[in-house]
Amino acid sequence: MSAIQKEDGLYHSFCGLTCVGWLYQKIKDSFFLILGTHTCAHLLQNALGVMIFARPRFGVALLEENDLSKPQPELEALIDEIRADHKPSVIFLLSSCTPEVMKVEFDGLARHLSRPDLPVLFVPASGLDYTFSQAEDSVLQALLPFCPPASPDDRRVVFLGSVNDAIADDFALEAARLGIPVAGFLPATHFHELPPIGPGTVLAPLQPYLSKVATRLARDRGATLLNSLFPFGPDGTRAFWEDLARLFGLNVDLREREAQAWSRLATHTELLRGKRVFFTADTLMELPLARFLKAAGCEIVECSSPYIHKKFHARELAALEGVPVFEQPNFDRQLRTIAATQPDLVISTLGTTNPLIGQGVVAKWSTEFAFMPIHGWAGAGTLVGMFTKALRRHAKLDPLDDPVWSAGLMPGAIPLVSNRS
Amino acid sequence: MRLALWMYEGTAHHGVGRIANSMQKVHAVFHAPQGDDYVNPIFTMLERTPAFPQMTTSVVSGRDLAQGTIRLPETLRQVEAKLHPDLIIVCASCSTILLQEDLEVVAANAHTQAEVLVYDANPYRMAEVLSADGLFTQLTKRYARPQPLTARPSVNIIGPASLGFHVRTDLICLRRIMQTLGVQVNVIAPLGASLADMARLPAAWLNIAPYRELGRKAAVYLEEQFGTPALYDAPIGVQPTLAWLRRLVEMLNDVGARVDGPAVDLPPLTAFSLDGMSAPSGVPWFARTADMDSFSSKNAFVFGDATHTVGIVKFLHDELGMDIAGAGTYLAHEAGWVAEQLVGYLPPTADQESPTADRTAHGQPSSVGGLLVTDRFQDVAARIAELQPSLVCGTQMERHSCRKLDIPCIVIAPPTHIENHLLGYRPMLGFDGADVIADEVYTTTTLGLEKHLIDLFGDAGLEYEENGGQEIGQDTPALDTPPSQENAVASGALPHPLTPKAQTPTWTPDAQAMLKKVPFFVRGRVQRNVEKYATEQGVSDITVDVLQAAKEALGG
Repeated sequence: MSAIQKEDGLYHSFCGLTCVGWLYQKIKDSFFLILGTHTCAHLLQNALGVMIFARPRFGVALLEENDLSKPQPELEALIDEIRADHKPSVIFLLSSCTPEVMKVEFDGLARHLSRPDLPVLFVPASGLDYTFSQAEDSVLQALLPFCPPASPDDRRVVFLGSVNDAIADDFALEAARLGIPVAGFLPATHFHELPPIGPGTVLAPLQPYLSKVATRLARDRGATLLNSLFPFGPDGTRAFWEDLARLFGLNVDLREREAQAWSRLATHTELLRGKRVFFTADTLMELPLARFLKAAGCEIVECSSPYIHKKFHARELAALEGVPVFEQPNFDRQLRTIAATQPDLVISTLGTTNPLIGQGVVAKWSTEFAFMPIHGWAGAGTLVGMFTKALRRHAKLDPLDDPVWSAGLMPGAIPLVSNRS
Repeated sequence: MRLALWMYEGTAHHGVGRIANSMQKVHAVFHAPQGDDYVNPIFTMLERTPAFPQMTTSVVSGRDLAQGTIRLPETLRQVEAKLHPDLIIVCASCSTILLQEDLEVVAANAHTQAEVLVYDANPYRMAEVLSADGLFTQLTKRYARPQPLTARPSVNIIGPASLGFHVRTDLICLRRIMQTLGVQVNVIAPLGASLADMARLPAAWLNIAPYRELGRKAAVYLEEQFGTPALYDAPIGVQPTLAWLRRLVEMLNDVGARVDGPAVDLPPLTAFSLDGMSAPSGVPWFARTADMDSFSSKNAFVFGDATHTVGIVKFLHDELGMDIAGAGTYLAHEAGWVAEQLVGYLPPTADQESPTADRTAHGQPSSVGGLLVTDRFQDVAARIAELQPSLVCGTQMERHSCRKLDIPCIVIAPPTHIENHLLGYRPMLGFDGADVIADEVYTTTTLGLEKHLIDLFGDAGLEYEENGGQEIGQDTPALDTPPSQENAVASGALPHPLTPKAQTPTWTPDAQAMLKKVPFFVRGRVQRNVEKYATEQGVSDITVDVLQAAKEALGG
């Protein structure tokens, strides 16, 4: 297993609240209410700029100056407004930094606001403690009391993590093909469709950022947690299904299937072979993505991730043997490493990618991987294409070999007088 | 407590970032949770900067709070070691400000060579605009030094900043004007200014501070402290630009006379055109051409910051001959000034209320001299729905609201969006800006013979998709747009001006068929007007006769 080096956490990423951007679309009868400030609203409209206009079933209960001195926020009127406008089956009440600092008692607040027909569930998600995709873990934990218990002889799989309906169908079909009985998905598309979970349940995590809910389900309900690779790329997908099948006493051999999948990706892997790739830290998907690229023939210069769970990520870490792995990295140190090692491709956050390209690096948004159907056999083509697209595009363009093309682009470097005068 | 979905202004720390990122060797450090780092990508994504923005989040985590760790001194040392800035500006965030730490003391513990300024931007009392302007004024006071005037006539251009609305091209336009006049640009600030440039501000003969939102207070200070006269007007539109030019020359020559310096002459106006020999703007002739008669029947609603709202209302009214249906601003602290500027431009309203500058009194939109003053986009969308103007000039939010309402809209004010950071030359100021805005208005609205043909024949052969409008008689507004993601802007929050379903008249099939002959893009408006007419007349079924009567009563 790769040794994990831990740094001081001065990296760039998005706030945990950003997860509402995909979760409100996944859970179709939900509303996500953030108790927060102007900052939270500004974050959401900028981070989710594209999505904010799509009938947003999320909003910020805005704490203003006069709210700061109140013992407990008064949210009843807002809940009524949301109920009337959106008729949700469930409201997720998300914490943010300011109420955390104010020590708002969220559990009590959520209980107080809950009605029998409209539960209000507390979700810890503040940017003080949660990065980007991590808050989905909190949302799923909030849903657990609504997953019915299952009897010990209910031997079925529950897939863990929000994926779109098409991917969910793929996984359900593949499971059926292999003879694996499926209890459902957490989260489900609707609040009242949550799967039963009990001691016979096998939990198969589809996303690598759900360590807490997985561990908690194993502990509280006695469910068995699949310990495998995450289903990204032909290698990960094969391991995922073979290991899952084994938990159901099925011996399946997917070697042939994996070989076929790789051969379909051949034009991509030819390009990737020997390429040196660097992952800064952002989505918590870094470990499986780097492992896939390594299997595809890349050299991983560095793989950094905001949080690494040694047990939950054990198989991925084992597959990354020999790769420098960092948790909570320092971005300035990463810039120095990038300058020294000159990787062919850097996977980095929304905010850092253009400046990296400005330094002559081929860089790609890490955020995009959180929003693309890259799971399973069907997702492998999309996944590999995301890496090769950036390499191909930059190879097609003329070299940017004259600094004139970025003259005047940095606001702080706009010259007062032109060179001619 | 209110539900917020979209804000016109960014946060106080975003305002600080905009100033720091504008200047040379100035860096902002946010003492904030990592979640507050989201402002960083706004710069690199919208301005597509090839280098890192001049701001760093000194992360405060839940564990740090629990353990009493404060990482700020270490971050300051890291920033200094890497970037060697002349000045580091530190500010707290909405959550860390509640910790009531003495950041002055904490920052002093870093023992950096760079100057460190702790800026007290209380995010509960100020948003982006007041924060940025306050910081820039503070920097002006801190660094401007008394000194002799430049030998030749000169100006400072004060106000352009990183992520400003079309400021990069405004600046190109202003520089071209100064070049044509033979006037030296002494300092541009904050965009591109170093601390040494800030010190040189008092060397200019005159300050140009065209933006009400940023730079005006600094110019007022320079006037009071150093006697530098200032031109505060925004040259938006042709006549305002002409008046501005004359005033500029006059003010510079007043200084020239006082210091016995060279005079500035206003050259022939053709000198201000791009080729130096054409009309400086096409607008005066354009506005008189025959097809522009259509404008006299068009009305516009304008909403934005202070500078652009005032400039655009006057331009549409005075130079394109349009009617003004209404106007508003989200900047409550500028509402009084905007209302005063627009006296005589806004239609009279019944609800003349007193201005409110209380940022916490968000319950209802206020009205100052007929001006809509609100920072809730739902209020603005409701006003637009009620007024049904032919054109809306607003922000990105109004553009989206108008898509739902099927009303043409152009974006004339911040907050900026990726589409306000295009590659071409699109200033808002000067003669060039007047041409840009007029083109935008023209290409956005339907005008001239085309409009008559559409009115006469229904579709004038335009093969537009009818994109599945709703059935008549539903309680939803008859907006012939599909219930797609795009049009769902405010569906949760937008109060529809029509009466509830129970009172909506029903359409008979033949009246419905007749309504379908109305061009789809005005059908919604016709439907609403006829339903309103029927309701007023106490008619519950809209028949062909009722429709005909309504068309006659409403003027077709």
